Amino acid sequence: MIGQRISYERLLWTTGCLALSLAPHVGTIPIWVLGTCATAAAIRLGLAARGLDAPPQVMRILVALLAIGLLFAQFHTFNGITAGTSLLALMAGLKLLETRVNRDVCVIILIVYFLSLAALLVGESLWLLAYLIGVCWLTTATLLRLTVSKPGPNWRASLRYSGRVLLHAVPLALVLWLFFPRFSEPLWRIGGANTSATSGLSDSMSPGDITDLALSDDIAFRVRFTGAYPPPQDRYWRGPVLYNFDGRTWRRTDYDFASAPEFIAEGPAYRYTVSLEPYPHPWIYTLDWPTQADLPNSRISSDLVLLQPGPVSRPTDVSASSNTRGRFDPSLNPVLRARDLRLLPRGNPRTVEFARQLRREHSNDGDLVRSVLELLHTQEYYYTLEPPPLGSNPVDEFLFDTKRGFCGHYASAFAVLMRAAGIPARVVTGYVGGTFNPYAHDWIVRQSDAHAWDEVWLPGSGWTRVDPTAAIDPTRIDRRLRDAQRESAAANIQLGANLPWLTDLRMRFDAMRQLWREQILRYNPASQQSLLSHLMIPEPDAHKLVMALGVALALVLGWLTWQVRRELRPRANDALARAYAQLCAKLASRGLPRAAHEGAESYAARIAAARPDLASTVVPLCRRYSELRYGKGHSRAEIGRFALAVRAFRPRDSRAS
Amino acid sequence: MRQAAARRLRAWAARRFGRDALPHTINRRRIYILPTAYGLTLAAMIGAMMLAGLNYGSNLGLAFAFLMASIALVGMHHCHRNLLALRVDAAREVDGFAGNGARLEFVLQNESGLDRWDVEIRCEDRAAAAGAPAGIASADAARARAFASVAAKAQQTLTVMLPTPRRGLVRVDQFELCTRYPFGWFRAWSYVHAPLTVYVAPRPHGERPLASSGAGQGAAAKTDLPGDEDFAGLRAYAPGMPLKQMAWKVLARGQDAAVRNYSSIAAEPEWLDWHALEDLEPEARLSQLCRWVLDADAAGRCYGIRLPGTQIDLGGGAEHRSACLRALARFPHESPA
Repeated sequence: MIGQRISYERLLWTTGCLALSLAPHVGTIPIWVLGTCATAAAIRLGLAARGLDAPPQVMRILVALLAIGLLFAQFHTFNGITAGTSLLALMAGLKLLETRVNRDVCVIILIVYFLSLAALLVGESLWLLAYLIGVCWLTTATLLRLTVSKPGPNWRASLRYSGRVLLHAVPLALVLWLFFPRFSEPLWRIGGANTSATSGLSDSMSPGDITDLALSDDIAFRVRFTGAYPPPQDRYWRGPVLYNFDGRTWRRTDYDFASAPEFIAEGPAYRYTVSLEPYPHPWIYTLDWPTQADLPNSRISSDLVLLQPGPVSRPTDVSASSNTRGRFDPSLNPVLRARDLRLLPRGNPRTVEFARQLRREHSNDGDLVRSVLELLHTQEYYYTLEPPPLGSNPVDEFLFDTKRGFCGHYASAFAVLMRAAGIPARVVTGYVGGTFNPYAHDWIVRQSDAHAWDEVWLPGSGWTRVDPTAAIDPTRIDRRLRDAQRESAAANIQLGANLPWLTDLRMRFDAMRQLWREQILRYNPASQQSLLSHLMIPEPDAHKLVMALGVALALVLGWLTWQVRRELRPRANDALARAYAQLCAKLASRGLPRAAHEGAESYAARIAAARPDLASTVVPLCRRYSELRYGKGHSRAEIGRFALAVRAFRPRDSRAS
Repeated sequence: MRQAAARRLRAWAARRFGRDALPHTINRRRIYILPTAYGLTLAAMIGAMMLAGLNYGSNLGLAFAFLMASIALVGMHHCHRNLLALRVDAAREVDGFAGNGARLEFVLQNESGLDRWDVEIRCEDRAAAAGAPAGIASADAARARAFASVAAKAQQTLTVMLPTPRRGLVRVDQFELCTRYPFGWFRAWSYVHAPLTVYVAPRPHGERPLASSGAGQGAAAKTDLPGDEDFAGLRAYAPGMPLKQMAWKVLARGQDAAVRNYSSIAAEPEWLDWHALEDLEPEARLSQLCRWVLDADAAGRCYGIRLPGTQIDLGGGAEHRSACLRALARFPHESPA
């Protein structure tokens, strides 16, 4: 009962449920919050084990004030997922400390449910959902034990019961989930939604930046082409364009939408859909160079970067088309030209001197670019994850001394060299390549595909992509990188070089994950409309969605009511009940139906009074039924004989008698 | 206000469905269900869950919120079902003594294949429901309730102790079956409009010895000093019997409580007369008469009772005793026309 003093065992189960619901939050909420919860639980359980009640109230209030004060000092708000979850966890822990009766624990049960939901707002995997449904099952069983007076159903019965409740609830939940109208935009923005998106490129680049991504297996985004896909040398996924160089770091200030991009597309257009994982930046990776995109409020800046107003805070699908050939800014605006030639007045003197020398040798910009790439190819330049540290003139030291670097070093040094030689140049960061998944028919671009390259402006052709890293002799690539590259290249071509089954498994798993993402995580108003059109509803819109929700809910609730009532009736596989029902039906067909409240004996007595001719058969049959139903230890054979007797019974019509 | 609403609902249900015959099987049209405070808290939480899911565009969050909402709905159905098709029976006439409470016995029969957990029966007599006359705490009357769980295909007896502060007739016009099973989120209830009559006899009290019918042959003295030679066997104990005749040894052996019976006194017929107690207040007279009835019954004597307007002829045994006590409970009687 709800007002009963809580037993140790129930307290233990509640604590267990709380711990299970907190487990997915480990790592996101502050460790001291978890510690406080654990301590509170340990103290309370320790007291309960010795048959004691909650600790004194003064102490509880002090601890609560202290903990909530600390929390506020850490977050400065209780809004947002992490702060809110921490607050809830603290409340649950402290409530546990002051628990006296079952009612107190009922509050904790509600918090456990909410903590489970909070975990699902952050995490997105199928396993997490399955785990939390399991937690919900346990919690519901615990709640049952807490609210039913002793001796209630035992644990096994409680678990079985709450499992059945859960099974009954699933169809209803499914209908609600499918048809409940969604908003395409959030109602209001709450801070901290994108805490999970931390890895990936940023809007600045220092030479060593991209190395930490090189070995990350995380998926950056996926691409599905409709129609042909571009050849490998054109699979460059364009991210932010960086043009401000401070001697070490490349940055950008703002995006220019004032002037429309001047891009004359040539060659085939590729159409595709990019499925982005969340990251805290507004740009959207597109195939180099994007021409149009299907995303509300998005724009393509003058340097051909697709941007949306806010950060990509949730999984987003963008359909876009790109041309890998074309002339980009064939006549460069002087302001931009000046911007993309700017170098610090001092710094990297050897590079500047080398650029002047190159300029003297090559009057043609194209020749100059080619000669530098040739130089990178032939000289002892190494592509490595662990380049030596660079000093105050990083470009000089890299180009002439260490000669070891990652893509960031090469892109940065190349752009500086070009600018010093009078060729407008800038750094582009993004991703290159990708792995084709034959099961999902899409391309997976991982964080390890992050890359930096350059764009130089050449008279006549405009901005031209140059990838200095690609010029390095393959024998001088760090072995780990070469392995990684070979693996992805092999997967590209024929699925796996050394462990084909592993690669294959990984691909299948990935295809499943992609299906989960596309069908479940990104289920949106558009998916709902297409669901309606699958259901043959013409011209689906929001009103019809609500109507469909109503109809589906009515159907499922009807099913639920039937299901719930069905369990009340005697089991359908009960041969005795079937035989008795048959007997009653036979009598009912002769105008003598059994009233709902009538027991077998009183029914027989009534029939004997109304139809004395039937009494000799009906009375013994009904008595036999009572014996079999309420007596002890009857065999199947006895029930079978009863059923046979009922079958043989042919009541004559009263007129015939 | 909630009590007022409940009262109006009860009155409406009584008008709408009329009297119920006992045993009564609970019909689905007569089960009412509302969320409890805990259920409302849950609803608020589910609302917050849905808002969070919608706002963060989290389809999994929404799925979980919908699952919770569905669990609550299934819980509602199960709560309703916990009362459905239960069969309830009760003793229509019950005896009790003022100040002692009356034991209302109910039998719940569950013919279905499902266990019914935590079914509660509540009784409120009309006086308590109407705002309780002076001296009666209505909270006490409202607390006349009992819980029971009834296993599948089984029956269970529940005893509700109805407080009976004063002598008289108590009419329980209806009783209520309710349940909060399974999760305490909903409370389902149903009213059974079957009048139960509780005859509240006066509190047995009084110093006067049992008066003999005629010249007084020391029968009263014998009552006070029962000799061992008069012992004539045991009778089952009933509330109100004098404790001094209690057969404690029998009780100590773990058998049912019993009182010693004295044969020598049994022969004397005794009239218990209202008019013999003219110097006492009416209620005190009734208390004294009640004391005498119990004493005479315990002594196994043949007795009758004379009250203004009625008379119970000489007799003995449990039924006779009950008739006498009910006559005392019903006092005053209108004189027969």
